[in-house]
Amino acid sequence: MAALWTKISAVLPPSEEQFPLQFSDKVESSVVEMLRRSRQQLYVHTTKNSQILNAQIILDFSWEKLNMGTWRDVDKEWRRVYSYGCLFKAAALCQEDPSAEEILLAVKTCDMGLLMGAAIMEDILQVIVRILQGEVRKSAKEEKEREYPQVKRSKFEPPRVPVIKEEQAVPRIRCPSLESFNTNYLLPLRPVILEGIIDHWPALNQRPWSIEYLRSVAGCRTVPVEVGSRYTDEEWSQTLLTVNEYIDRYIEHKDGGKAVGYLAQHQLFDQIPELKEDIRLPDYCCLGEGEEDNITVNAWFGPGGTVSPLHQDPQQNFLAQVVGSKYIRLYSPEDSDKLYPHQSQLLHNTSQVEVENPDMDRFPKFAATPYLDCVLKPGEVLFIPVKHWHYVRSLELSFSVSFWWS
Amino acid sequence: MRWFGFGFNAFGQIYDHDKLSKSEKIGTDEDVKVSSPLELTTGTDCCSKSVRIKASWSRRASLHLGGESCLCLAGFGAVTSTESSGALIKHSRGCTDVYISESYLTLAFPDRVEAWDLQKEEKTPSWSEEIRSQSETSGPPLSLPLVSGGYIAMKPPLYRSLSPHLKAKSLALSAAHAILLTASGAVFTWGLGSHGQLGHGGLTSEEEPRVVEALWGMSMTSVAAGGWHSVCISDGGDLYVWGWNESGQLGLPSRGLRKALQQQESEAGASYQHTGKTTADEQQEGEKNEEVFISIQAFPALLDVTPSCEVKTVSCGSRHTAAVTTSGNLYTWGWGDYGQLGHKNLVSSDEPLCVEFFKEKQMCVVDVVCGAWNTFAAVVKKEVKIKS
Repeated sequence: MAALWTKISAVLPPSEEQFPLQFSDKVESSVVEMLRRSRQQLYVHTTKNSQILNAQIILDFSWEKLNMGTWRDVDKEWRRVYSYGCLFKAAALCQEDPSAEEILLAVKTCDMGLLMGAAIMEDILQVIVRILQGEVRKSAKEEKEREYPQVKRSKFEPPRVPVIKEEQAVPRIRCPSLESFNTNYLLPLRPVILEGIIDHWPALNQRPWSIEYLRSVAGCRTVPVEVGSRYTDEEWSQTLLTVNEYIDRYIEHKDGGKAVGYLAQHQLFDQIPELKEDIRLPDYCCLGEGEEDNITVNAWFGPGGTVSPLHQDPQQNFLAQVVGSKYIRLYSPEDSDKLYPHQSQLLHNTSQVEVENPDMDRFPKFAATPYLDCVLKPGEVLFIPVKHWHYVRSLELSFSVSFWWS
Repeated sequence: MRWFGFGFNAFGQIYDHDKLSKSEKIGTDEDVKVSSPLELTTGTDCCSKSVRIKASWSRRASLHLGGESCLCLAGFGAVTSTESSGALIKHSRGCTDVYISESYLTLAFPDRVEAWDLQKEEKTPSWSEEIRSQSETSGPPLSLPLVSGGYIAMKPPLYRSLSPHLKAKSLALSAAHAILLTASGAVFTWGLGSHGQLGHGGLTSEEEPRVVEALWGMSMTSVAAGGWHSVCISDGGDLYVWGWNESGQLGLPSRGLRKALQQQESEAGASYQHTGKTTADEQQEGEKNEEVFISIQAFPALLDVTPSCEVKTVSCGSRHTAAVTTSGNLYTWGWGDYGQLGHKNLVSSDEPLCVEFFKEKQMCVVDVVCGAWNTFAAVVKKEVKIKS
């Protein structure tokens, strides 16, 4: 695997002098000194351990800065410093004939930079992680047969599929023209299920999304996972896992655990551009006033039983269902007062009501509030107008893609 | 009095490792992480034996008191002379108190206070103020970062005023929050509250000093601030802790720490042994443990450092805590990756552990001061107790 270092060093600047380290004076000169030492070590021979040690100092220091105050308040310079720390650590790990485990750790290190850092040197972490993934895939192929035996289907209760009454079903329409969607749904802010508009996605055709496919494209990549039934729960937390670890533990329950884990609201397609090739922006997004770059594309991947409590978002949303089905209920923003939003600033966009098991004593007005609902199936796209309250429960293994636009 | 230091030493702030040239020597593990206490060589040319230490992330300031007092800086940017005690700051002659952050060095003199920008080579201080004569100010002389009418912050604006009604006795600053002790022994906090570090029971930030009501009625003698945690000592020698317990810095069971320790093991296994269990397996094991973990302690909690004796002095690093007991022992807990706990290893701990080194050497610890990732302890020789 000495070839790996050749590939990595080919994408690094050819010399120390050409390796940029420019920071605002927010970054103290002592920290810049550490960054310079790490840079020097990349070009002057030093031991791998010594390089990892210096990179870790940069990571530990910038990690402290990233946790000082709310995410918004953190100066972008510290996210850049963090990315440099990841770059130096990943580069160190790839030297001197790295083991398979070291390469995986390097992938994880790059992902930490992509998740928490800011882009540096023309997004060099993205470039490096692609090289590393190629390496991981090579060795994975050799072991494949032994590694993934057929998974026993664990015994799960069949999902509770609610009966959708015709009079309150979300209307459906097949491939409307832009004009007709605009007039009949977007302008009056009426929810609708669009059928047939993502049939051309590679994710539903040439490269159908499946657990095996995700393992092969993204298995070694680190992603944020929500653990706990719903984000309003006391016990709810977020953790970082590789896609393989997530699937093992929360989809296939290999360890026999029962905890619910949800890969939710993550910009997976920016992190793993390969997956982006499998989806397309819905044409209807062009009816918005925002730039295409400002459309937020999120992945929602999880087992049956994940719940997003009733909440509202500040943008228009196309929720595209790729794998499995989801039960979704929608309430109008005009009825917000009957939905009992949380008082706290952090959760004021979320209702306190457990939609499918409401506490009638505490929330008496909820029961009579009109709603629309549906079971969203693969290939269908639900238009959730801005500020419309929505509750989502997956009925089985599910992969959805949401597009927030304005 | 002798001073020892341990923990983060990447800039030579504990001891200057390079008799060799810098580029050749930087970065070996033992040089960067001092895990067993090492005696500081405080230069003997500087008159006195009374030395006070303050430390930032990359530097250590040693204030030599008595006679012609002066300050020496060790660590980043210190131009090392032949003496390994660090570089003498020329404009520090006669100073009586010092405070150091990553960007500024503040010096108190009998007649003035000066704050110097450490990032730039400037001929004049960034901020300075004449001190009015003692008769005009009431109360005992203030210790930095307190100055007359306010305090010196870590970043501009350097001078911030404090209400005279607070009657501030001492002040501890972290990068984002502050904890103030009043003359009557009450505790006020303000600044970032995201991790419960203000002790008001919530996670909200406070613009203005707010009294820590949970401590109301108990008189405190000393306060200290870590990166995201706070501690104080009561009149009776009890230690109270609150804030973030991510690395066990509160001395309470920390899930984050246990997970990190497991992960370190598995990463070490990954890098060097090519064997070992997966993190998934190990986390499962951890979850079977029924212990009650504390991640955020939003109200002050009493911490029993040792069952038998009282706490005399306490200091916080960014993610660790060090306390001296009345019996002269040093206890440390929290983040240990850089050796800042002094237990001859690089392991974090979520329970207070005695630093055995001083015990073994028959030394009595009398003071402790933490830098961000390191710890400095002052010792005297233990008096031989005569049994009656």
